[in-house]
Amino acid sequence: MGIQLKNINKSFNNVEIYKDFYLNLPVNEISCILGPSGCGKTSLLNMIGGIIHQDSGSIEGLKDKIISFIFQEPRLLPWKTVRANLEFVLKDVNLRDKDEIVDRNLHIVGLQNFSLFYPGQLSGGMKQRVAIARAFCYPSNLILMDEPLKTLDPKLKWGLMKTFLKLWREDQRSVIFVTHDVDEALVLGEEIFVFSRPPVNVKKRFTNPLNEEEKDMTNMEFFRQKNKIMDHLD
Amino acid sequence: MKISITKNKFITVLSVLFLIGLWKAGSMIVASELILPSPGKTAIAVGKLFINEAFIRIVGATILRGLIGFFISFLLALILGIAAGINDSFYAFLKPILVTIRSTPVISFILLALIWFDVSQVPVFIALLTMFPFICTNIIDGIRNVNPKLLVLAKVYRVKTRNIIRDIYLPAISPFIFSGISSAMGFGWRAIIIGEVLSQPRYGIGTFMQNAQTYLLVDKVIAWTIIAILLSYLFDHLIRSVENKVVVWN
Repeated sequence: MGIQLKNINKSFNNVEIYKDFYLNLPVNEISCILGPSGCGKTSLLNMIGGIIHQDSGSIEGLKDKIISFIFQEPRLLPWKTVRANLEFVLKDVNLRDKDEIVDRNLHIVGLQNFSLFYPGQLSGGMKQRVAIARAFCYPSNLILMDEPLKTLDPKLKWGLMKTFLKLWREDQRSVIFVTHDVDEALVLGEEIFVFSRPPVNVKKRFTNPLNEEEKDMTNMEFFRQKNKIMDHLD
Repeated sequence: MKISITKNKFITVLSVLFLIGLWKAGSMIVASELILPSPGKTAIAVGKLFINEAFIRIVGATILRGLIGFFISFLLALILGIAAGINDSFYAFLKPILVTIRSTPVISFILLALIWFDVSQVPVFIALLTMFPFICTNIIDGIRNVNPKLLVLAKVYRVKTRNIIRDIYLPAISPFIFSGISSAMGFGWRAIIIGEVLSQPRYGIGTFMQNAQTYLLVDKVIAWTIIAILLSYLFDHLIRSVENKVVVWN
């Protein structure tokens, strides 16, 4: 079952961010929420993730969901090595082969040689790769991503998006990915929801028509789709 | 990096030599071994203390008092500090008590303790009271500085409270605990020795310092002072090296 947000209301300091808001998100796909900064995208993820609560309304389809969260910043424990950071979220999980799961995910994000490094010894991009590996280690069926590529330079960003897709193809979970960047939305998103400024409504829903080869900034079709989406973005 | 460490060590040695030079000059001006003995004569006095058969017992008694006082205050500070760090109301309750203890002159505690307790317990009590507020305040600060974002992370990934305490709270507060212990010990040793001077237990650095002072043995007073400085320095060094082993991520 997908995730259904029904009649959601949420205000911050008397500003209505969500007013009678409805949204259905599919399962086992990457749904991308694209919207201008400050439109309440993070709040939406936080409500789905149970970090904050809506003022009223309901979110259905979460009962069977186990959530991994990739935050804007890596959020690693500075006193734990890369490996121990992944193991930290697995501590209270009943899983066999935890070592193998950690090894496999570190390998996919290309950090197998850094497993004993502390976060302070890694670059920003490497730290965010650890956070992505941590999300995939955890036996979740829903991954929430809150603009985890925001602070990275373009080259790193494209590399990380490819890494993410590689991980996801081996292990297809439901993903809700929030961004204000159309490029990111077109590379990662399968369903793209364009949000308005608050109070939020879904201005447009796109099904991403691009195939793998077309997911390239220099591709004409990519450029065409990008412009099409831009027309709807505030 | 290596050059600057060597350079700094050199400056440290220079600073100690400067202090000794100043002392030597002073003793030459005063020109009385009774009032201000020279560094050389004092060094001999220190040497004599070391070979004195009671030396270990005297210094050991002071160290033991310090350690007993420290462990009691550490335990107390840990329990109350964690409680105050987690609960704001309890923090509001504890804060004025900590401020009062810290603002009270050490001598007031000693004078009262001399009335209330047995002489050998006085320095322990003093050590406890001087060290407790430092460690407690630091533990509270440490807990209040735990990054709330890491706690959200742990909550989202459904990490159990036991592991949150072990893997987030304890490492986050450990640098605070070490710096608390370090300042507590620094004040603690001085307070214990004042306590010993006034309560005169059978063994203790303060007791012997006071005895020397009574007989105007200035070289011995200074010699015991040097022992006290070394003691404080050695413990600080010990704390720092344990800290470097525990807090490896920085």
